[in-house]
Order: sequence, then structure tokens, then C-alpha cells
Amino acid sequence: MDRSFLANKDVVAASRKFVCIRLATYEDAAENEVLKGIFTMRSELQNTVFGILTPDGKTHIVRSGRSPAWAFGGQAGRGIHEQPLESMKKMGQTMEAIALAYPGKGKAAKGPLPLPYLADLRLALNVTAADRQPLVAVFAPDAAQRKAMERELSVVAWSEQFIGQAQYVSASDAKEFKAVKGLKVKTGFIVIQPGVFGLEGSVIQEISANAKAGELKKQLANALGQHKPNTLSYYEHRAAGVRAGKRWESKTPSTDNSSPRERIGRQRR
Amino acid sequence: MMNRSILLVGAFLAGPFFSNAQAEAPKAAAKAEKIAWHGTWKGGLTEAQRTGKPIMLVSAVPQCHSVPGVW
Repeated sequence: MDRSFLANKDVVAASRKFVCIRLATYEDAAENEVLKGIFTMRSELQNTVFGILTPDGKTHIVRSGRSPAWAFGGQAGRGIHEQPLESMKKMGQTMEAIALAYPGKGKAAKGPLPLPYLADLRLALNVTAADRQPLVAVFAPDAAQRKAMERELSVVAWSEQFIGQAQYVSASDAKEFKAVKGLKVKTGFIVIQPGVFGLEGSVIQEISANAKAGELKKQLANALGQHKPNTLSYYEHRAAGVRAGKRWESKTPSTDNSSPRERIGRQRR
Repeated sequence: MMNRSILLVGAFLAGPFFSNAQAEAPKAAAKAEKIAWHGTWKGGLTEAQRTGKPIMLVSAVPQCHSVPGVW
């Protein structure tokens, strides 16, 4: 995934005027179909997809592709993570312009502000490890209680102090935490340190399910401060993972024929 | 599912227009450091429809050479 455009300060600032959706390719068959509707090569879903869409998700506003470079210039290709400043600036400026054309409903938007959930704990551990961020699980067997907890946490999660600083997942059963060490409570906001390779995690802090937004803010600040991000470089991480035999199996098969494994397979064939 | 691409971008590429837009950006956004991602299409699309905000969509595989924990 791009680590250049999407970390640019102008792009991040403009992103606050968008709904930003990041999916894990090949993890959900229905989402694969959505992605194929946005960008394919030779009719096949690629490992990476980028698009900017109208609020109904139906119309492309910029050229979709494998990365922002397809729309804003720069270097397109695998493993490209350093882009020209002018391309990143163009992306930020274009997003600001699109936000003016689609200003949103503002206070007229009805309904509660949702937590930006990941699909499940298995994927959430991997994604937060990749982002080098802490994970917060909203854990309660009772759906009504989870809803009440979400209402309190969403106020905090979207506040200036916390926005973009952690990721979130919903859990209703202790069995979902089988890869997480240290779970003691039966309900609560569970702040998790993902393992380096995102295949396991450990509890940093358990916050009462009854905590209101003010208390949550205090406790969450403390818990997030204890998160220790992986410090390995990209290549060190990959090498260490190969040595340790750490592997990820996506839920649906890869169809990206330009991926290294596929290329090697073709050469061998 | 997708209609034809609407390339609005060119119409907006006027320099002063952007300068003003950025100058008026809220301070909170200027201080922001990381993008806040919705992790599912369903959740994100529902929020885009609720708020009327445009969507920035990215997808990637959270592994490299099958090693997880990296984009």
C-alpha cells in the first residue's frame, strides 16, 4: 500500500472532509466485487486499488487505479513509496476541491456517528500491526450494550485528540480473543497491542464497559501511550517474518498476476 | 456498478481557489497526522450516504510475500 501520498500532511488534512475506506483485498468476497467495479487489470482484481467516489459510491471522481499515482502523477508500480512532492500536493488540492463540490450534509446528517470498525479481530490484529497502531475492541456479548459502548467511544474516537490514532473492532464472544493474551474481563473496551506480525496480540488495558466519554478519553490516552510500535524497517520485517515462518493466508485467492509469487510461478511454468 | 468517470478535477485546478480553500481549512484538520479509516465497505458507504461526504477508497493486502503485519 502507498506510504507516501496517504501520509502527506495536506492529504491527511483533506481526508477529514471525506469518508475514508480502506479494505483488505481478498479478505471478503463481496468487497472483492466492489473493488472489481472500481479497478481491474485484464478483468482481474489487483492487490491494491485506489479511487475517489461520489457519496453514493457509484461514480468515479478521479481516475481509479492501483494507487493515487494513477490519478495524480508520480511513480506507478509495485513498492513505490516515495513520490514527487508536486504529485502529493496535487492530490491534497484536488481533494480540497472535491470536498467543496461535495460539502456533505454537516449538522443535517441524521443518525449516530459510527465507529470506524474493522471486520473482525483476526484481520484487525494484522491491519493494526501493519499500521503500527493500537487496537481497541468493543467487547460485550449483548448487542444493546455494545451499541451503548459504541456511542460513548465514537465521540472520543473522532475527537481531535484521537482521530486516526487507533483502530476499532467489535467483539461479542471471548473466543474471538483466542490470539490475544491477557483478557480478564467479560465486557469492556479492550486496548490491544498487536504483535509484530499481527497474528497475535496482548492486552494493554481493559477499560470498564460503563465508562462514559470523559472517563474513556482519560483512560484511552493512558492506554494508547503504552502502545509500542514495531520499529523494523519494511525489509527487516519481511526478512524476520520469513525466518520465523510467519504466514498470512487471505480468505479468497489472489488474482493479481503481477504479484511476485505469481511471476515466479509463471517463470517456472 | 460504476457510471462513467466524471473528471471534475480539471475544473477545480485554479490556483487561487485552492489557496483560499486551504487557508480556510479548520485548524483541527491541519493538525491531523493520520487518516481515519473505515475498515469495511458497508460501514464506510453507510457513513458516506449518511453524511453526504465523498469517498476515498483504498484497498491493499496486509502482507508481503505472505508475511503479515505489513502493507
